[in-house]
Amino acid sequence: MKQILIQDTNGNLRKELRDFHVALTTQLRDWGLADAAQVVTVADIGIYQKGIVAKVLPEGFVYVGLEVKHVPEIIEKTIQHGEKIASLAFEKKNKQLRLVLRNCGRIDPENFNDYVANDGYQGLVKALEMGPERVIEEMKKSGLRGRGGAGFPTWMKWNITRAVPGEVKYIICNGDEGDPGAYMDRSVLEGDPNSVIEGLMIGGLAIGASQGVFYIRAEYPLAIERIQKAINECYARGLLGQNILGSNFNFDIEIRLGAGAFVCGEETALISSVEGLRGYPRPRPPFPSVRGLWEKPTAINNVETLATVPYILFHGGEAFGKIGIEGSTGTKVFALTGKVRNSGLVEVPMGITLREVVFDIGGGVLNNRAIKAIQTGGPSGGVIPEQFFDTPIGYESLQKLGSIMGSGGMIVLDENDCMVDISKFYLGFCVDESCGKCAPCRIGGTQMLAILKRISDGKGVDDDLKKLNEIAMAMQKASLCGLGQTAPNPVLSTLKYFEAEYKAHVVDKKCASGKCVKLVSYSIIKDKCTGCGMCGRVCPAIAITGSRADKYSINTEKCVSCGQCFDVCKFGAVVRQ
Amino acid sequence: MGITKEDLDRIKEEAARAPRQNSIRVGYSTCGVAAGADVVYSALCDEAKARGIDVAVMKCGCLGLCSAEPLVEVDVDGAPHVYYGKVTRDVALKIIDEHVCQKKLVDNHIFEF
Repeated sequence: MKQILIQDTNGNLRKELRDFHVALTTQLRDWGLADAAQVVTVADIGIYQKGIVAKVLPEGFVYVGLEVKHVPEIIEKTIQHGEKIASLAFEKKNKQLRLVLRNCGRIDPENFNDYVANDGYQGLVKALEMGPERVIEEMKKSGLRGRGGAGFPTWMKWNITRAVPGEVKYIICNGDEGDPGAYMDRSVLEGDPNSVIEGLMIGGLAIGASQGVFYIRAEYPLAIERIQKAINECYARGLLGQNILGSNFNFDIEIRLGAGAFVCGEETALISSVEGLRGYPRPRPPFPSVRGLWEKPTAINNVETLATVPYILFHGGEAFGKIGIEGSTGTKVFALTGKVRNSGLVEVPMGITLREVVFDIGGGVLNNRAIKAIQTGGPSGGVIPEQFFDTPIGYESLQKLGSIMGSGGMIVLDENDCMVDISKFYLGFCVDESCGKCAPCRIGGTQMLAILKRISDGKGVDDDLKKLNEIAMAMQKASLCGLGQTAPNPVLSTLKYFEAEYKAHVVDKKCASGKCVKLVSYSIIKDKCTGCGMCGRVCPAIAITGSRADKYSINTEKCVSCGQCFDVCKFGAVVRQ
Repeated sequence: MGITKEDLDRIKEEAARAPRQNSIRVGYSTCGVAAGADVVYSALCDEAKARGIDVAVMKCGCLGLCSAEPLVEVDVDGAPHVYYGKVTRDVALKIIDEHVCQKKLVDNHIFEF
């Protein structure tokens, strides 16, 4: 039996889709083929803006731009004879490349054998055969850079830590993922815990550490549970402890929980937290590679980095280095969220363009609205407006645009998002999470936030934008750790690309997107109002009254400018000013 | 004596040699559970057991299509290998009835990516 999948993505092709579906089912019946093929409407085939899309199984032919007139040809050629119709066919390219997420969703994360059956711990076997120096050499060939955000070459970090004299060394897995909207690490810890453990062991071997620490935030209970189970299993099988795999390599792992402070993702604050102290950052140098946990040389790597390591060791650094672009090799996992159709995790080779990620993989913007920008790198990153979407993704290329790769958050912003509001949100996050140890971050952040609040309340004054720039400079230069140094980035990058929008707030006291509620007012045009009353039903402030005969109107005294009436009105009768 | 390299190879070989099994995988990470994967998982297990069907229902990690969670992957003989998204208890029962038993695909919930 064949299956014909027809994509129904709730688009604006409802009628055409229904006609096509009816034509296909009735004609199949007329041909006496009703039992030979099942017509299935499916939620998504992953092809957009191509009209009606169908896929025929088991052959896997994908047809696009379908109309009712194509039905007989499809039935005759494809259903009866299994032939492909070249004029309708579409080759769907899979733009994702899953190396880090290779096992996520494919294996049972709590089953040790499942991981081993999928080349699990083969990287460690190779690493033990090669020895520390050659492991680091292999990492150098791979060109892997830290996936936590800063992009420091992993081999170099390991090499430095290895070179520092000392009997006792530590390696820490940084699982304190705190960027708003980013959850790559959680997925890897939950979906493939053994890969991170294997990466940590290889790292330990490379730097000469016999103790590894997982630092995971307490908000990830399932991740902690799965990592703990995987560690227990490794101990039970003798894969952790003394003489691992018959070698003279000894390694132990313990878990430490983060109590939910964003600053603890910063390596020196993380070390303080593991030591049981308050999560305050320390001045660097000395860097953790020289003096880290318990004053001993320590390497700290991000979850995604460590999950990549077994792949590199097993398949070779050169193979990995061929993926991606010069200076940014391999793949990167992004958490694609915001106003995008398919939100979720994507793993793509470096060098792919932002447009491909948002439109080809993400399926474009929700509700067919116009895209405005994407935010990358979380509170340390910035926004990238649409005109730069054809930039290949890499550490340097994103930095040039005033943003960063960061840990991999990617938030799609559409025309309904206000840039002042966005920078207020990210800065507010950093002000909340500032540990308060150094003045530039503690006071600078608060002052910048006060200015942004003033602007969005319509009380901005002329030199506010200049002041924002000045304080931002001071914070970047004088803050103690990465949190304060990067906290102004979202403000600076929105100022760079959307200065006109800031000026509209300050000078004209207008917010075009309607997000700054104090700058907008709503009213109803009587002539356009049909009296349906939808606006009155959704109004949370009971500010809209009227009847079918009298039409509706808004009481501006009661109105809270939430904009729900604007969104719900199908007749364009509600206007925003 | 702990596990050895030979043990790892043996596990790998045994898995490669093992006959293919009918399986249903449920995305059981935080995103899936938050969307109701626990209800879906128990519905699938209970229904498969009640009907005496030979199918392994497994908990897995996140495949990445978070907007479509709970996500269920069905790989059984005689029907295409597909992913169902936005699965509820009712859809889970339909998957067992229509897909696993009747070898027909369930409408409106298939996601390809």
